[in-house]
Amino acid sequence: MTRFLLRRLLFVVPVLFGVSVIVFGTVKIIPGDPVALLAGPGASESAKDALRSRLGLDRALPIQYGHWLTSALRGDLGTSIAHQQPTRPLVVDAFDNTLILTLYATVLALVLGLTLGAVAALRPRGIAGRICSGITSIAVSAPQYSIALIFIIYLALRTGWFPVSGMHGVNGSGLGDLLWHGFLPALTAALVPAGVIGRIFRAALLDVLGMDFVEALRSRGFSDRRVLLHAVHNTLPSLLTMAGLQVGYLLGGVVFVETIFNWPGLGLLLFQSISSRDLPVIQAGVLISALAFVLINVLVDSAHALIDSRVRTA
Amino acid sequence: MNALTVEELQTSFGSIEAVRGVSFAVAAGETMVLLGESGSGKSVTARSILRLYGRGTRIDGRVRLGDLDLTALPDKQMRAVRGRRVGLVPQDPTGALDPLRSVGSQLVEVLRVHGVETSKLDARRRARDLLGLVGIPDPVRVMASRPHQLSGGMRQRAVIAIAIACEPEVLIADEPTTALDVTVQAAVLDLFLELQRRLGMALLLVTHDVGVAEELGGRVGVMYAGRLVETGSVRDVLAAPRHPYTQGLLDSLPTPGIPRSELRVIPGRPPLAGEAGAGCAFAPRCPQAVTSCHASEPALVAVGPGRAAACPIVNKTLTAQGVPA
Amino acid sequence: MTPLAPGLVTRRRSVPWTVWVFGSLAALFVLLGAFGPLLVGNVDSGDLQQRLLGPGQRGHLLGTDGQGRDVLERLIAGARPSMIAGLVPVLVAGAVGGTIGITAGIVGRRMHALVMRTLDVFYAFPAVLLAIAIAAALGSGTLNTVISLSVVLVPPIARIAETETMRLRDMDFMESARASGAGRLSIAYRQVWPNVRPALVVYCTALVGLALVFAGGLSFLGLGVAPPHPEWGQMINEQRQYMFTNPELALAPAVVIFVASLTFNLLGDGLRDLLDVRRPR
Repeated sequence: MTRFLLRRLLFVVPVLFGVSVIVFGTVKIIPGDPVALLAGPGASESAKDALRSRLGLDRALPIQYGHWLTSALRGDLGTSIAHQQPTRPLVVDAFDNTLILTLYATVLALVLGLTLGAVAALRPRGIAGRICSGITSIAVSAPQYSIALIFIIYLALRTGWFPVSGMHGVNGSGLGDLLWHGFLPALTAALVPAGVIGRIFRAALLDVLGMDFVEALRSRGFSDRRVLLHAVHNTLPSLLTMAGLQVGYLLGGVVFVETIFNWPGLGLLLFQSISSRDLPVIQAGVLISALAFVLINVLVDSAHALIDSRVRTA
Repeated sequence: MNALTVEELQTSFGSIEAVRGVSFAVAAGETMVLLGESGSGKSVTARSILRLYGRGTRIDGRVRLGDLDLTALPDKQMRAVRGRRVGLVPQDPTGALDPLRSVGSQLVEVLRVHGVETSKLDARRRARDLLGLVGIPDPVRVMASRPHQLSGGMRQRAVIAIAIACEPEVLIADEPTTALDVTVQAAVLDLFLELQRRLGMALLLVTHDVGVAEELGGRVGVMYAGRLVETGSVRDVLAAPRHPYTQGLLDSLPTPGIPRSELRVIPGRPPLAGEAGAGCAFAPRCPQAVTSCHASEPALVAVGPGRAAACPIVNKTLTAQGVPA
Repeated sequence: MTPLAPGLVTRRRSVPWTVWVFGSLAALFVLLGAFGPLLVGNVDSGDLQQRLLGPGQRGHLLGTDGQGRDVLERLIAGARPSMIAGLVPVLVAGAVGGTIGITAGIVGRRMHALVMRTLDVFYAFPAVLLAIAIAAALGSGTLNTVISLSVVLVPPIARIAETETMRLRDMDFMESARASGAGRLSIAYRQVWPNVRPALVVYCTALVGLALVFAGGLSFLGLGVAPPHPEWGQMINEQRQYMFTNPELALAPAVVIFVASLTFNLLGDGLRDLLDVRRPR
């Protein structure tokens, strides 16, 4: 197991390297001359040249990249153009809020998805099973912004059951207030992953229940509950295979949810940065998200290998 | 009183009859081989004894474990019988083991669920002993191994260990050698015989391989299209079959010395479950069939001490020739 | 064309109802995308006297927005950029990703490892974020959305193609093809492609649904077509301000994208049943 972990972690390094190259690269493909933008119209050529050399933009690309990377590793992610503050604390604070939302959404997605999948698998011909199957199919296609809008209008605005926006109430702080404010955004973000989890769990459970060893378990005189427990255990590898991707989808999709619900997370920050073309923030935001995603995938893969030892030698 | 008694067992899946009236008995310490091709209903018989089928299946007839009527037993008590008083060695050893858990934990589970051992420590010790009993040279290593880390033969032994863990009175083995190499097959069969001797179990073994029947000895019941067409001791039946199907089976076996081109194959194919018509199920393929064979299904009648066959034609011929049973 | 591998002939069953229903619906969307703007003419400006009319008032089936423009007409006109951003990236990524994936499956171990590791780097990004990053870098507009989505969709398609190709690789008929001296290119074209095609078709159909949602999301963030031209995602964002009084203004495009996504996803499911493709593991 330790050998697997080492190999997996080792493998992360080139990936992160590639990620940093891409993040750096996306900024460089932006059309237009950033120096001209910063210097303003009517600036003289010599002024622009001075600015360019001061920003280090006259060096060769690989050197610029090296500069950027070393700064980033030291923790310096530049200064936000729009906020006139260091980028890193800005991004990290926002990321913490996103993490809370993502966690909440993951829990909801698991509860919803596993329940739907289980019912769909255990009562495939009954009405409950078919409804659950249908719900998973619909959930998978639901665009986050559409659902967010529907929820806001019908569950918040019209009925007042939930707050329309924000992370905390005016007076509120504390867990209850957070959970209440976070419910609609988290549920919105959780729908698609819930649908995917539901489908995979259903397929995996049906698969396992048809396998030989289920009959073997019953032939040993085990109760249906015990047999089901072992069956579910055997669906975990399939679930974990998809889990990493789903978290990735969650992390990425928060942009829309946070924007519509005004949740002060990384997604909202990115949205605002796009409008203001605040490149350092966009870069830092995407970089941190990618980092988190990679780490989460390592965790998921490790859990997978822990449960299913066949994976360790692959 | 026999360890296992089966009376007029009938199993139907919806309108399809897979087993159409099978009766036999196995005494403690005795071996019974159910011999037949795939589709003959032999595996279904084995599973019906343990009531492993779901609600869509209808089972008629009577199955007795000693004097306990299994067919009328409520589910909860049936679960206490399964794995404890009747063990099953399923067909595919790889499929019978949970791929994610160690062999040891699966063994320990059986012991603890049935209350044979209560503490984990005792159960582990017992599991190691069981693995040794089935001929595994390194029980400690195998206990900690997952199924995919073991060879096919080891896996089969582990599955057997699980089946006999609670020292059942009856052991049912469904095609236990099919998934194994030929060299390992003989060893596993020897294991069965030894375990039977040690634990005094009644052994019911289902197979399509005549060689396996030969190796095991004991009694044999030849099945075709959901019924027994011939029963008797393995030695007698294989030496002098009293049913054309049994004869056909034996004829189609390759024997060293006889060139392949001379192998005789039974023409046609066995009827699928539910396909059998009015007369003898084997009649369409039988070289000795006459008109009456197609009219009514012949019953399994005694043709000698401990022997029965369901072919009046062969019986008549042999009796006329003065052949003793 | 039936694949040439023995035992892999696709069983032609009767066409499931889902394919008929959702196939027609999908075709409707495509047609709207193609001819929509022609049907409704100019929808960029409206009559300010008629702003914010509710649904059904004065002949406007879905009402009018803050600038007096008919919502239904804008939805129809907005179909074109939305459908383009949904369909074209899948076609492009399908061609590119399919080629990469099949190639990776056929070539030797080192090339295969190289290609897969490179793909893994792209996989390290949550897809949405990558799309946003690229689109933000390139600027707004349908073309940039298409480019961004094409790039983002190549890795998953390549992975499916590679998985399917590797699955086929171990089969006997591949060995006999190699043994008969067939060159790698001919193997790819004749043996691999027909067998990988069903899985790719199913996957790409569902991916259109996803691309539509992504594209809607990008234009929601302001990275799509610039106003006043209509586009579904952009309309949602634009009309959010009227959420309290005229919620249907934002709801209409939101529901349309939802339905479009649902259509292509369920069509993909139906095609999977028709072509007898195994579910991805």
